[in-house]
Amino acid sequence: MRAFLAPALPPARLAVLRVCVYLFAIVHTQRIANDPLAHADVPASLYTPTLLRDWAQLPAAGQTYMQVLQVVLVASALVAATGRFPRLAGWVCFLAVLDWQTNNFAYGKVDHDSFALIAALAVLPTVGRASWRRWRPEDGDERVGWALRAVQMAVVASYFLAALAKFRYGGPGWANGAIFSWAFSRRGSELALELAAVPYFLKIGQWVLLLAELSSPAMLWLRGRWIWLAVGFWVSFHLVTYVVIGIHFMALAVCLVAFLPVERAGELVAAVRAPRAARAAQPADEAGHASATR
Amino acid sequence: MARGTGEPDDVTATAWRWRAAASLLVGLGVVLGTVVGHDRWWPLAPMAQYAFGVDPDGEIRSTYVEGDTTAGTTERVVFGMDGIGLGRAELEGQLDRVIADPSLLQAIAVAHSRRMPDQPGYTELRMKQRVSTLVDGDEASRDDVLLAAWVVPDPEDPQVLDR
Repeated sequence: MRAFLAPALPPARLAVLRVCVYLFAIVHTQRIANDPLAHADVPASLYTPTLLRDWAQLPAAGQTYMQVLQVVLVASALVAATGRFPRLAGWVCFLAVLDWQTNNFAYGKVDHDSFALIAALAVLPTVGRASWRRWRPEDGDERVGWALRAVQMAVVASYFLAALAKFRYGGPGWANGAIFSWAFSRRGSELALELAAVPYFLKIGQWVLLLAELSSPAMLWLRGRWIWLAVGFWVSFHLVTYVVIGIHFMALAVCLVAFLPVERAGELVAAVRAPRAARAAQPADEAGHASATR
Repeated sequence: MARGTGEPDDVTATAWRWRAAASLLVGLGVVLGTVVGHDRWWPLAPMAQYAFGVDPDGEIRSTYVEGDTTAGTTERVVFGMDGIGLGRAELEGQLDRVIADPSLLQAIAVAHSRRMPDQPGYTELRMKQRVSTLVDGDEASRDDVLLAAWVVPDPEDPQVLDR
């Protein structure tokens, strides 16, 4: 189980995810899930908090509170994206986003696209330092592997459980229903109306989505070109739903990075930082030599 | 730490135990959330986006709010960031509350006056639904139904009601 939940993976891979997740946390809260700023003007009679907010006894937030939270969130995300103070900046950012999102969901609608993002923000601070310079297989670190695996599992949970939810709420006949008609009718573009007119297009789309969601756990074992193909499939799916009906799952799509063996980016970063790397190379080589001969 | 044992990056037994426990607990929680939970459990809420069934011979309901203004016009309330700050889907999530207590529509008049102070205020708000009837997945007919109506006291400067 330990090899499955916490394989030793190179820290550079986590450094890539770290930049993506923290920068996206800013985009997500400031551009996509930015309702909390507007919620501050809505009277508290329409405030219906989730359990987490109830337990934390957080009231409906006013303008000043939201503006302070916004500054704390953006600042901590920027610091964390650089990899400095990974624990402190990371935990502050996690709590700020949690506060932000629960506010977002306290007025009658809960979205289901941010579970993987929240999970990523929760596990990244547990790793501590993760250097771009450590991209080789022998640099593998179990703390890194656990964090990446946790994000991967959160992504798979988002897809797989979405299929279970379709059986729970839509019944066994969900894929033969008219849910895509419903979505296209409510917020369809010109393109959507044309696509909806193609016979069986929507029904086939429903089946493809359901089968892809049900088989998503396989992503935890895919390697090489197959994992790139699987990630490519989901990115295309999210892109199409965005273009056609204006619904996107960016927060989930960003976390797909956790599946990709992108640690070689560390080599690039090291090359760009060549002057600094050259100064740091001496002690790093010595350390590597020492552990090899032990 | 296990540093110096030849496996410098291994986590300690304790650190591994809490990581394994966290994975299992959150994993169990999120599965339970989808199987038996509900939206208030977020972030362990059911992954229910577009999960409900739509009967190909059923109906599609789109909620909107219509407001009479102090300028004598009738307009549709604009939802979201460019409007009252509350989303349409959010109001739809509280539909039963508003039908049971139409005075909750006062909050829309207040939010409107806070966010768009230069526009004429609302004298009366009516929450309605456009009902599209589907036949074999296609829209066959439309109808509009009134769900709740509220006459706004002091429409020039609407206040939050004492509750």
